[in-house]
Amino acid sequence: MSPMLAWIPGLPLAAFAVLILVGRRLGRASAWVSVAALASSAFLTLQLTPHVLDGQRLAVSWRWLSATDPAWFLGLAVDRLSWVMLVLVTVIGTLITIYSIGYMQDDARFSRFFAYLSLFCAAMLGLVMANHFVLLYACWELVGLCSYLLISFWFEKPEAARAGRKAFLTTRVGDTGLLIGILALWVTAGQLHLGRLEEIRTFFVLRDQTWWLTIISTLIFLGAVGKSAQIPLHVWLPDAMEGPTPVSALIHAATMVAAGVYLVARTLPLFTPESLRLVLWIGLATHLFAGTVALTMTDIKRVLAYSTISQLGLMMTALGLGAASSAMFHLSTHAFFKALLFMAAGSVIHATHRQDLRELGGLGRHLPWTRALFLIAALSMGGFPLLSGFWSKDAILLSAREHAPWLMWTLLGGAAVTAGYIFRLYLRCFHGSPVASGCGTPHDSPAVMILPMAALGLGAAFAGFAGPGVFHVHGGLDVPMLISSSVALSIGVTLAFAVGLKRRVLVPAVLRPLGTKLYRLAANKYYVDEAYQRWIIGPFLDATAWLSRFDRRIIDGAVDAAGLGGWRIGQWKERFDRVVIDGIVNGIALVTRSIGHVVRRAQTGVIHHYLFWVVAASVMLMLWIRAVSA
Amino acid sequence: MAPHPLLFTSCALVALGVYGILTRRNAIGILLAIELILNAASLNFILFGRWVGGVDGQAFAIFVIALAACEAAVGLAIIMGLYRTAKTVLADEVNLLKG
Repeated sequence: MSPMLAWIPGLPLAAFAVLILVGRRLGRASAWVSVAALASSAFLTLQLTPHVLDGQRLAVSWRWLSATDPAWFLGLAVDRLSWVMLVLVTVIGTLITIYSIGYMQDDARFSRFFAYLSLFCAAMLGLVMANHFVLLYACWELVGLCSYLLISFWFEKPEAARAGRKAFLTTRVGDTGLLIGILALWVTAGQLHLGRLEEIRTFFVLRDQTWWLTIISTLIFLGAVGKSAQIPLHVWLPDAMEGPTPVSALIHAATMVAAGVYLVARTLPLFTPESLRLVLWIGLATHLFAGTVALTMTDIKRVLAYSTISQLGLMMTALGLGAASSAMFHLSTHAFFKALLFMAAGSVIHATHRQDLRELGGLGRHLPWTRALFLIAALSMGGFPLLSGFWSKDAILLSAREHAPWLMWTLLGGAAVTAGYIFRLYLRCFHGSPVASGCGTPHDSPAVMILPMAALGLGAAFAGFAGPGVFHVHGGLDVPMLISSSVALSIGVTLAFAVGLKRRVLVPAVLRPLGTKLYRLAANKYYVDEAYQRWIIGPFLDATAWLSRFDRRIIDGAVDAAGLGGWRIGQWKERFDRVVIDGIVNGIALVTRSIGHVVRRAQTGVIHHYLFWVVAASVMLMLWIRAVSA
Repeated sequence: MAPHPLLFTSCALVALGVYGILTRRNAIGILLAIELILNAASLNFILFGRWVGGVDGQAFAIFVIALAACEAAVGLAIIMGLYRTAKTVLADEVNLLKG
């Protein structure tokens, strides 16, 4: 069974290779290559189910770096945690790819889209199956690259190009943290195998160096903050909604943003109480902050984006409590209902070509399927009893109650906010007065989009029943919790109906100025982007401008002066060379030449002349010998 | 001691040879004149060898004869080559080696 593991990320990777090379020739068929690869991966993953539920850990590894001692083995491993992620990525990925066939049908870069989508799935599958930090980090970056490519897929739009860049740079801050964390782990513990985290923990505990664990786990968490859009690195996710809606559904709601949660859950043995407290606070702040912003947004996809940030914050809160199984449970149910919400939103956008709530309304009659599925997802997210979101949220609330009652009450408040914004969105889209739209009567999306949504709707409704079996969370109903979370849901829905749809003003007149101020604060997303612009990006640009001036004046000046000096010296050398050295050489040649000119006269070529000289010389020699010997 | 009468013969041979070298226009004639000089030298070797005693002089004379044969072969080959390129064997008409 184990060797088959490589096929799970391998098939989408092969689909990417095929599509990027011959995708243009395949045309419409390219989508089905992608769907087939993902569906096969899903099939392979589901085949692993009995082994994983038995508690086995399937692994395959190969020698990667043999120059070190001991050699590094990279590999893929599937345990319960990564199996959950595999199921999510392959199943939801398949459904969203099918949905994209309808959504992207008129796009000029049709096959390119599916190539990127396949590459993303391959990278994400590699990320969750990696058994080594190095492989995990490589896939982590690859996933970020795909996110960038897909956010700015419609790069003709300047906002899309800018959003892609923003996402890439913002997550990079977190990725750098993760990289430093991995390096620190290598330098201190010398062990990067994800299957040996307990050993690493013991290593540090025995040496009484748990502060190293705190540092490393905080750095790893920084990577998760970037990827999972937690405060303060959440700013990229709302802008990422410039990408095509299936991308928002798959990458920026269901899977990639969940990678941060997965990473923390995977490396939970490295977290100390101190770093877990940080995770808890960041998660809680993100949950409440993003929830209130979502209440005020008017763009459908931005509401959903802030809702995603908020739900990711909830998962982080659960992780901060040490309740990894509840977090992963909520991650799974969230993946289903949030992907469905995005796909339903995409269906609305597809039908009306509008995504501003102020221009939408009363669509329920025209889009019955979309409306019904949206309602299921919204109820599930709000925590309607027995739907999937109810189970996972209650699991988190129960963990919070064990930890501290105030935390449970805060999270219940968050749940009311969640119900409030999602039903505000639902009611304003599908109920109320139809707004005259210029594009005729909107009609429901084609079957290729509705069917995957229906499949996800089943997941969003019933995935919660897998909780006790797969995640080992509390089974059975906790009646006080059922009542209190239902009350929170009802409060949220009622407020959404009264304030969001009917526009009743419920705030007493005394508090109205304060309310307006708070509303404006939330509607401007707490001015986080502006603060970044003012305190980080602005000073950074000023510093670069100053450095550029420094560079031009001082560095360039020095280089130019050195060049000029060299040129002058070269000129002198050239003159010396020409006059002195060449003069000597030419003089020697001239002398030789003039001597030769004289001597060559003797060389007549006539043999008799030579012979005459021979005879004359012999005679002279003879006479000389006589004269000497006499 | 009076010189041997045959020394005058070898003197005459040398003089004849030198004269031939300087006056002959035909390259083959020059070659023949050189042969005369070589033979004069051989005669001297034998005469002085007889006077000194031993067979060294005679051995040298044999060498000179062998050498002369070689020289004639090489010289004639050169003259053949010369005739092919310059169409003449008259030495004063050839100045290919003029510097």
